Amino acid sequence: MSALTTRLRGKSELGIAALLGILGAVVLWDGLHLQTTFSQTDPVGPRTMPIIVAGILLVCAVLLAVNVLRGGSGEAEEGEDVDLTHPSDWRTLLPLVGAFVLNIVLIDVVGWVISGALMFYISVWALGSRRYVRDALISLALSLATFYGFYLGLGIPLPAGPLEGVL
Amino acid sequence: MSVVVGYIPTPEGEAALERAIREARSGGTLLVVVNTSRGDALVDQRFIQQQQAENLARRLEAEGVEHLLLQPLRGHDPAEEVLEAAREHHADLVVIGLRRRSPVGKLILGSTAQRILLQAEAPVLAVKA
Amino acid sequence: METLNLLMQGFATAATPMNLLFALVGVVLGTAVGVLPGIGPAMAVALLLPVTYNLEPTSAFIMFAGIYYGGMYGGSTTSILLNTPGESATVITAIEGHKMAKAGRAAQALATAAIGSFVAGTIGTALLVAFAPLVVKFAVSLGAPTYLAIMVLALIAVTAVLGSSKLRGFASLGIGLAIGLIGLDPVSGQQRLIFGQPLLIDGLDIVVVAVAIFAVGEALWTAAHLRRKPMSTIPVGRPWMGRQDWKRSWKPWLRGTAYGFPFGALPAGGAEIPTFLSYITEKKLSKHPEEFGHGAIEGVAGPEAANNASAAGTLTPMLALGLPTNATAAVMLAAFIQFGIQPGPLLFEKEPDLVWALIASLFIGNTLLLLVNLPLAPMWAKLLRLPRPYLYAGILFFATLGAYAVNLQAFDLVILLVLGSLGFAMRRYGLPVLPLIIGLILGPRAEEQLRQSLQLSGGEISGLWSEPLAIVIYCIVVVVLLLPLIIALVRKARGGRPSTLEEVTMGATPEAAEHHAVHRSAGTRNPQDTENATENKEKV
Repeated sequence: MSALTTRLRGKSELGIAALLGILGAVVLWDGLHLQTTFSQTDPVGPRTMPIIVAGILLVCAVLLAVNVLRGGSGEAEEGEDVDLTHPSDWRTLLPLVGAFVLNIVLIDVVGWVISGALMFYISVWALGSRRYVRDALISLALSLATFYGFYLGLGIPLPAGPLEGVL
Repeated sequence: MSVVVGYIPTPEGEAALERAIREARSGGTLLVVVNTSRGDALVDQRFIQQQQAENLARRLEAEGVEHLLLQPLRGHDPAEEVLEAAREHHADLVVIGLRRRSPVGKLILGSTAQRILLQAEAPVLAVKA
Repeated sequence: METLNLLMQGFATAATPMNLLFALVGVVLGTAVGVLPGIGPAMAVALLLPVTYNLEPTSAFIMFAGIYYGGMYGGSTTSILLNTPGESATVITAIEGHKMAKAGRAAQALATAAIGSFVAGTIGTALLVAFAPLVVKFAVSLGAPTYLAIMVLALIAVTAVLGSSKLRGFASLGIGLAIGLIGLDPVSGQQRLIFGQPLLIDGLDIVVVAVAIFAVGEALWTAAHLRRKPMSTIPVGRPWMGRQDWKRSWKPWLRGTAYGFPFGALPAGGAEIPTFLSYITEKKLSKHPEEFGHGAIEGVAGPEAANNASAAGTLTPMLALGLPTNATAAVMLAAFIQFGIQPGPLLFEKEPDLVWALIASLFIGNTLLLLVNLPLAPMWAKLLRLPRPYLYAGILFFATLGAYAVNLQAFDLVILLVLGSLGFAMRRYGLPVLPLIIGLILGPRAEEQLRQSLQLSGGEISGLWSEPLAIVIYCIVVVVLLLPLIIALVRKARGGRPSTLEEVTMGATPEAAEHHAVHRSAGTRNPQDTENATENKEKV
């Protein structure tokens, strides 16, 4: 057991191989369930492409797993504002994702102005800003501006939620 | 015992540093230079780079004061870092530089200087550029 | 002659006050995203897609073209002033340009980059005008088997040539193709990968996928690895060049253009290789080879021109064949699909107004870039001080807004988050995102061509190579796939001599980078002296 865990340590990339494998299996399963009636107008049928794609995914999954177990690893992406010397900062990431999820849950209930402002506010906080008043004003201004911009400028009515009639 | 100075490479920062050097030399105490950034932008001209830091060190050496350059990057407010350095090094004087600001400008931003003035335990000397 | 008439009509469309305004907005926005860290032209166009829903397609594309060219301009500005190349194509610019800036010649570096970009962009666009109709004329005579072959080539080339790991490239391609399968099969009308979820029947909105992968994935990735130590830019005034600088710049501009355009037009040619080649050439031809690595103006002028010419080159296959070869072109193709315009060789025939207005706007945008930005360089440098909480929160905010506005359903946001997390994971584990997007865009079209090919041949598999050109292209595909193997064999046979390309990538830049490192370590010991030494060399 312990030998296995040591071997698997730092091999989180196997998760990607697993993901590819699952995806490939799903595509294959779905593709094989399609009905094909041979017709002169469409000899290829709807199944061929899914089977090809599933093949690519499954082969990649296997090769990637082998590659990782042999010590290969993908290079994390560099960027102007990216510092790879420290690991992923979950204390920034989790609140960001939280803000995103909150927005998904709230947007149809309380409308864009409130949920959008809330999302921006929490995101700004998660990213390290601590100017609470200024951030709140900016969040509100941004969501109001986009609401009216989309409504008046583009003719897209974003949901107003309980503020319906006020805005 | 020490003199703590908040330093940025601007006229007001230079004025503060100059005064702090004089104070440290006359008192024969340690000079703690704090140069920091919240690090929330890709570029912060107030944070001095290696080259400037070396020049600064050489200059302080030439002045003959015992010194310490702190460049903490913990995402804290500059005021917080100066205050903390003052506590840690038992400062008997904190020197800061002030920009001449219009009354309107003062309204918009809560200034670093104001926070240090209000919260420092040691006497604070505010130098105008 | 006919081309010229069409182009003139294009100018007439593009030069209306409204469209000029869109070009200006695009150019300014493009430069801004080029300058800002963590956001590039592909992301900017993706974020703007939903906003342009109700616009005239022509105006939208005029704006996108401005963003594309402007992004490149902004990227070179940061490379020179900050030494942070945002993409591999500006690595070279950063090497020489930043050295120039440190030696007090930032104004000249910026000027040669800007004017070189203008020259290369204008010539490149002229080449586009000349070649695209020829390609179209040739392409409309081709049948489905050849198209299929071309698409396979594009998919394989992007996957196998770019990026450091082919395996991870193909994994990404597979994911993109799988996403492209979701929805109703266009021929038989059967549901694929829908799992009883009615919201998936129309397939994933390509806008949502592009925003998720380029904006959400990138913002989350950067947010998790923020650089904590701030940098400082080199102060600069208005860019200008002296007579000597002009004399040393104009030939590299032209040579860079000559490298850039053809590479940009090739699938997976990209901007990286021509910038390297241009750099090597200039170093060889220069009368001051000793300045290279210390801030030679030719080393900025050539690669910058190559970079911009390749951008124009990229648009040739995109407009003439509907083939995207880089991220921005891919997102622009997604925009065509969003507007219900079928990309491909028939584009010139069916939407001549749009195409020629777009091309004319490239000339206009290029000129605007020069006029607007040459005086504004110091202002752009200030943009780098924008606190990043606002920047990245803003990207997420607008990504959400855009994805939601497409259909006004929260379900799209779930997709956005799921695919955004996928984008994050891909960046974490080194899977390139470009094959995914290109697979998503080209996958369904390749399937269509595949079915047509075999329909024509009555189900005979040999229908795939029934056209001679298709055979040639499949041969190229095989060569592309086997190239690394061939190179390895040749090298073994020759006894370990590095190939030219490796000489370029291994030889040139690391050498310069070494200079950099040496310079820096020397700087720690006695910075003043080394700095002076560089400056002296500069003035020789």
